[in-house]
Amino acid sequence: MDKAHRHEELEEEAAKPFGLMGYFLTPGELMHACEKLKNAGYKDFDAQTPFPVHGLEKAMGLPPSKMPWIVLACGATGLLSAIALTAFVSLDYPLVISGKPAFSYQAYIPVMFELTVLFSAFGAFFGMWGINRLPMFYHPSMKHPSFPRATDDAFFVTVEAKDPKYDASKTRKLLEELGAREIVEVTE
Amino acid sequence: MTTAALQEDTPGKRAPLVLGHRDFNAVTETVAGIVEKKTTPSWLVLLGLAVSVLLILLGSLGKLVAEGLGIWGLNNTVFWAWDITGFVFWIGIGHAGTLISAILFLFRQKWRTSINRAAEAMTIFAVMSAAIYPVFHVGRVWFAYWLFPIPNQMSMWPNFKSPLLWDVFAISTYATVSILFWYVGLVPDLATLRDRATTKVRSIVLGIFSLGWRGSHRNWLNYEKTYLILAGLSTPLVLSVHTIVSFDFAVSIMPGWHTTIFPPYFVAGAIFSGFAMVVSLMVLARKAYGLEGLITIKHLENMNKIILLTGTMVGYAYAIEYFIAWYGGNEYERFAFINRAFGPYKWAYWTMWSCNVFSPQLFWFKRIRTSIPAMFVISIFVNIGMWFERFVIIVTSLHRDYIPSSWTYFRPSLFDISTFLGSFGLFFTLFLLFLRFLPAVAISEVKGVMPQADPHAGHDDHGHDAHDDHHEEASAKADESEDEGDEGEEASDDAEKDEEESRG
Amino acid sequence: MSQAAAMTAGRATGEKSKADDARKLPKDVGDTLTKAGMGLAVLGVVAAGAGYAMDAKRFAASYLIGFLFVATIALGGLFFVLVQHLARAGWSVAARRQMEWLAGLLPAVAVLSIPIFLWAHDLYHHWMGPQAATDPILQKKAGYLNPSFFYGRSAFYVVVWVALGLYFTRTSRAQDESGDAKLTEKMQAASAPAMILFALTTTFAAFDWVMSLDPHWYSTIFGVYVFAGCATSSLSVLALITVQLQQRGYFRKISTVEHRHDIGKLLFGFIVFFAYIGFSQFLLIWYADIPEETVWYHHRWDDAGWAKVSLAIFFGHFVIPFLLLLSRHAKRHAVGLSVGAVIMLVMHYVDLYWLVMPTFDHHFHFSVVDICGLLGPLGIAAFLVARQAAQGPLYPLRDPRLAETVKVDNP
Repeated sequence: MDKAHRHEELEEEAAKPFGLMGYFLTPGELMHACEKLKNAGYKDFDAQTPFPVHGLEKAMGLPPSKMPWIVLACGATGLLSAIALTAFVSLDYPLVISGKPAFSYQAYIPVMFELTVLFSAFGAFFGMWGINRLPMFYHPSMKHPSFPRATDDAFFVTVEAKDPKYDASKTRKLLEELGAREIVEVTE
Repeated sequence: MTTAALQEDTPGKRAPLVLGHRDFNAVTETVAGIVEKKTTPSWLVLLGLAVSVLLILLGSLGKLVAEGLGIWGLNNTVFWAWDITGFVFWIGIGHAGTLISAILFLFRQKWRTSINRAAEAMTIFAVMSAAIYPVFHVGRVWFAYWLFPIPNQMSMWPNFKSPLLWDVFAISTYATVSILFWYVGLVPDLATLRDRATTKVRSIVLGIFSLGWRGSHRNWLNYEKTYLILAGLSTPLVLSVHTIVSFDFAVSIMPGWHTTIFPPYFVAGAIFSGFAMVVSLMVLARKAYGLEGLITIKHLENMNKIILLTGTMVGYAYAIEYFIAWYGGNEYERFAFINRAFGPYKWAYWTMWSCNVFSPQLFWFKRIRTSIPAMFVISIFVNIGMWFERFVIIVTSLHRDYIPSSWTYFRPSLFDISTFLGSFGLFFTLFLLFLRFLPAVAISEVKGVMPQADPHAGHDDHGHDAHDDHHEEASAKADESEDEGDEGEEASDDAEKDEEESRG
Repeated sequence: MSQAAAMTAGRATGEKSKADDARKLPKDVGDTLTKAGMGLAVLGVVAAGAGYAMDAKRFAASYLIGFLFVATIALGGLFFVLVQHLARAGWSVAARRQMEWLAGLLPAVAVLSIPIFLWAHDLYHHWMGPQAATDPILQKKAGYLNPSFFYGRSAFYVVVWVALGLYFTRTSRAQDESGDAKLTEKMQAASAPAMILFALTTTFAAFDWVMSLDPHWYSTIFGVYVFAGCATSSLSVLALITVQLQQRGYFRKISTVEHRHDIGKLLFGFIVFFAYIGFSQFLLIWYADIPEETVWYHHRWDDAGWAKVSLAIFFGHFVIPFLLLLSRHAKRHAVGLSVGAVIMLVMHYVDLYWLVMPTFDHHFHFSVVDICGLLGPLGIAAFLVARQAAQGPLYPLRDPRLAETVKVDNP
């Protein structure tokens, strides 16, 4: 009984609409559609494309990426860590090498550089997946029957139901006007 | 429209980067097809060959660990020879991959998209082949972790003033960043393969490795920025790696090693050898997998031009080094260079010059740089020459050092040769596995440089053609692009506003 | 260096600067610019004369620095033109003409080099003077470091530069008239051998004119070091000219914020390259600690004054401009980029000063004569750039890749 109840609840949740999806066959049409959606006041919409379409973020009105700041912070951490590491190591157990002072910063610059780059790269790599909320192995947009084409040759647009302007019929009409194909309401 | 006419890159009209693929799906089919079709017998034969050479490596290393470094031909005078030569050789090979993926990306060289994936894979495998040498040269490999600053029972730290320790940091950073960069590039293509998967297992495995990538533009935005940042990080990184490798020699006071041009000279040489390896591999791979439409003659010609450029830079370094050895007036330095050119190893020195400086000069001729057999032969010559360059630097400087009584002539032992040969087994095994199981061409990036990928395609389909009045055309275009950029806002000439919009 | 001139010009024009995509500067602006340049040239020559009268010996060294300042900028301009043809670049068409103006200084560089040879016995007295005959080290290199070979080589360098400078600027101008795409192909074909000539002449000029000031000392990377200075200084001048022209609205349709960004990126790249080359040379010499090599750094570090100059180069030529131009916003911003460029130009002078002067002056002191030595060549160069700017088109009018350059975008 408990099980059945949970199942029911899941079904109910699953029935909740996530948004309307349709696709275009050229990046130009998609760009045009995104501009129109933006101008119509939609905020929660997204495009799924097989490659990054040049300039689409402007058409969608997306803010610039935050990645540089994450990387900058990580790079600074790397540099400071390297300075701390080399300073600690050379003072904790001083080795006299070719008569140079214990803390010969000149000789530590290569290591400082490498750790700065390493930390920055980690910041870029993990920061990017973090910001993008990936890995995410399930996403409602994957329910569109033609979704596999999003990584091949189709340019999808998804208007999400959580957008205040979302209206199942009006939004569908707008997408139809824009020439989207196979418009489907996908569920959560 | 014949392909020959299409490939000509005349001023004002860029030759297309992709030939014979009319739409995006065709690119997917070509590249994904390689991974999805059945294993071919020829691939199995090649893999068998590579694995048998790999077994030679494993055997040689097993013997080395069991008996010690004495099995190599090293002696008191020549304490570094084939081992470090092999290390520098492989590290150098790897540099072209990073150059193609990062530096050419920063320079907006769109032709890189067809070759960057394979070149990056080559980088990673080359670094792995290189890493064998320092790791096993420490003798007791199970203590190799002493190279890292990990607290140990002796409460000692590694010597941070040693260039060999800088190498540890440089190589491990380089390997890590190369793998991250490569994987970031792979994710969208793995998603493509996932969406084409026909079996449950493939779909689950690819699903995991593609991290649920769905091509959302909100993700692409961060993705592209990250790609740019990783390219920006990899560029100084790749320079630093071979620079630090050159420091291994140049910080010493060994004549022939201590010369200030070593850092840029090593970097140029590394890129040179790496491009030669990419040309060798790509000539074979494009033929074997029918990638001629993606990796065109134009791609190969561009790489040959880079080989000519870097080969000439290497020649410059040889000449300047020689000149300054004389100009400096230091007896030891002068001797080291005379000994290189006319001493017992003169055969190696002149092999180096012939392969590295003279043979690429043939690429001045367009017929030769667009001829597949010619470029294949020259690229092999360059690889041989670059191995000899490191051998000449290392062995000829050491074998006649400051004390004439310890002068000697180095001869490699069987295990020197088998270890080096075996390292090719490791490299080719990994490369063949890569060709078979991963998309060898960056699918999403190639699509992005096709003419129909431009969202404004159609407006100016013939925009690159030569017109009578370029100026009129140019200003018309500027108007157009400005309007597009500022749509929805008042058309404004104010550059500051433009900046606000696109900053980040 | 023509910034002052360009600013005067801008003030003079006022509203007229709205002529958005002028192919040429309006005549009145051009005249004002030429006049301002002429004024600077006269001022420079007068200052140079005064400097020479004050202290002829010091002036020779100061003039060498000023001459090198102009020569490196002109060579950097030539390098840029060559490398863009070599790479068949499209984006840089909008920036190429300004670099051609700089490469167009090379004939003047040839003339300006004459005093160096007149004063060679003062400047290079370490190896030209009588004491060289008894110096065992110098005896070994007398086959290279002897006056007649030195003059012959120097003549060869300047002849090559004049030839390359004239060929590439004239062919580009010829294309303005004819619109012949074949000319682009010709320049592309010529750029590869020209690059080899450029690399060799620049390297050996650096060895002969700068490194031989201290004839015992040697460094294989020295030519590359001087080349790095050519690149940063010429790109800085390019950035300043481009920003000035854009701000006055002259070729905004051709050269946009995207070109500013690209120039900024290249400048940033070469700042890092310069630091890399400078650090490589320093680290290797510092680490090996061989007296015959470290002496060069001792001259630049042991004296408290020179140590400060060394630190100033580290911070001013690398750290500060690096941090500034790291920002995308700064590279795209007219003021941000200009500040970076001005810092780099000032520091380029300091760097050349640091290369040359410690040989003559073991204790750092800056003299008014040094300013005179700079103003002479600089004033003449400013005049010549202003005149080229006033007389010719502002960009390669009919370059076949003009359509590409206006489409440049930095996502």
